[in-house]
Amino acid sequence: MLRTIKPKNARSKRVLDAREPKEVEDPRTAIFVRGSHPGEKVMGVMKDLMSLKRPNAISFSKKNDIRPFEDASSLEFWAQKNDASFFVVGHSNKKRPDGIIFARTFDGKVLDMCEVGVEEYVPISAIPGPKASPGHTPLMHFASELFDAHPRYMQLKSLLLDLFSAGEIGGGIYLKGIEHVISVTIAPTPSTASASGVVGPAADSSSILPKVYLRTYTVSFQKSGQRTPYVSLSPHGPSLDLVMRRNTDPDPALLQLAMKKPKLKKKDIESGLGKRKRNQEVDDMGDLRGRIHVPKQDLSALDRSTKRAKALRKE
Amino acid sequence: MDVSSIIASEQTKQKSITVEKEIPVEVDPGLLTVTDLNLLDYDTYKQNLEEFLRSTARDGCQILVTSLFSLPVESTPEGPLAKLPEPQTQLPRSKPLPKPKAVTKWEKFAAAKGIQKTKRDKKVFDEEKQEWLNRWGRDGKNREVEQQWLTELPNNAGTVSGLFHLHLSRTEFLFYLDVDYDPIKASREERKNRIAKNEKQRMRNIEHADRAQATPAEDRKRTIEKTLAVSRMSTASMGKFEKHLDGEKKLQGVKRKATEQERKSALAIASKLDGSSKKPKPGGDDVLNVRKAIRSLSKGKGSSALVRNSQKGKPTARGKAKAKR
Repeated sequence: MLRTIKPKNARSKRVLDAREPKEVEDPRTAIFVRGSHPGEKVMGVMKDLMSLKRPNAISFSKKNDIRPFEDASSLEFWAQKNDASFFVVGHSNKKRPDGIIFARTFDGKVLDMCEVGVEEYVPISAIPGPKASPGHTPLMHFASELFDAHPRYMQLKSLLLDLFSAGEIGGGIYLKGIEHVISVTIAPTPSTASASGVVGPAADSSSILPKVYLRTYTVSFQKSGQRTPYVSLSPHGPSLDLVMRRNTDPDPALLQLAMKKPKLKKKDIESGLGKRKRNQEVDDMGDLRGRIHVPKQDLSALDRSTKRAKALRKE
Repeated sequence: MDVSSIIASEQTKQKSITVEKEIPVEVDPGLLTVTDLNLLDYDTYKQNLEEFLRSTARDGCQILVTSLFSLPVESTPEGPLAKLPEPQTQLPRSKPLPKPKAVTKWEKFAAAKGIQKTKRDKKVFDEEKQEWLNRWGRDGKNREVEQQWLTELPNNAGTVSGLFHLHLSRTEFLFYLDVDYDPIKASREERKNRIAKNEKQRMRNIEHADRAQATPAEDRKRTIEKTLAVSRMSTASMGKFEKHLDGEKKLQGVKRKATEQERKSALAIASKLDGSSKKPKPGGDDVLNVRKAIRSLSKGKGSSALVRNSQKGKPTARGKAKAKR
């Protein structure tokens, strides 16, 4: 547990105030943690996921001997210390090679975790072409009936949405600025298997859980003769083939608290939810006026450009 | 010339943006997310994985983009900005909902009385100088008296209020008058007192807010600590000889309040020591010592002798004068 800090000056007070709970939250900050033996593949996966998550990402460059499923206290400490609420932990051992753990916290406590194993991996760098600019929100695409039926996959969807998607109330999107899409598809099973109900909540064993394909594509628009363009996709990277491993479900009491919705007034949503518009005001005539800061002019610079009598020159 | 055939051929060249799905896909434009719950085709998946994934993603993406382009658009210098609706999928929060801010005593009072909050300007206009001054801070208006080089002394300078109504003698009046009265010091003291009062009120509001937000467990702990502190201080020696327990906090600022009986007896002792409540001397004050006067007039014979003498004849002139002084 961290000690409570009392701000000693206005700047640190502003920083602490920014960490206070808000009605409308900022996107989650994710910390990328290396386990004791991450391995090359996992390191690459984490690097690529981080490049998609930037700028809301913190990289821990040192190895940490942690086992989140056994003791999550380190995650909780880091969450508080860095004001982060999402973790991507990479680790690799003989029993569970190339594993990635997604964990998220609520109020400084771990809410839920999900471990996946990386089977195939194509890094961003291996795929040529322009890359998405950092801070750009991707489109998310999930394809499979299991995303609505199987609790494990529902959890994975929720975690991935929390990691990549910045759901903003009253936000907007530049239609021309759509750059990339993250697509998550669950491997289909032969129709006989799915019909007989092998895949479902009852079959909760990692050996039966089908693979998950995570692909990232660059979105490009082509003319369709209408206002809505035709979408075509080209590989962007990274490409991951994942297998489901361990998980922990959220504590129902904690989840209930986490799912509480703020009561927002419509007026507040329209006026930008208390986001301060600085140096702007509407004058009596109804015109929006901005105020800019003009720094003090360096008049000595003027001096040099004009010729002065020698007696008046400063030397 | 018939152009319909050319238009038709142009239209066939352009790709269709409509996507057919058995079950309509779930689109959440607020989260820029699309979920395709249709059963995926196992055979195409087995044949060509990458192509299968890409075509599935394209179809879903096309539906999402179509829904995004149908949103209300605001034109901005950077291009059309689509207003996103509220997300349908709810994701867990990362921090609890903010607690409502505690009301201060003044805010409570103002709400009850219907007093509207008015914003005070940071600047005030000075009529004499004809310029705007800071209300507080550097060269603030609140320090005007402290900073000006000359201050006019009012007639009642250095007096306490109500002094004029007391009908005091000159000596007594001078006794109560503050001869060292300094207007600068007085003004500064007044300002500092206002600040101190405000700080006291602020701290009290914080304390009230803390107490209101405390959980029942915290509340109980506080009461227990308070009771313990009071009981430890309630010995005749005010806890001086109490056994100190390990890990016990040192009591700070705990003062025992005296009972009414104790207060009275203590005051009585104090006044006795002070001498102010001494019984008045029999038959006299500080100016005239009656006993001494009688002894002197009767030449040491006592008051009865004096009475006898006065009945015989008129008292001596000397004696009369002395007695009257």
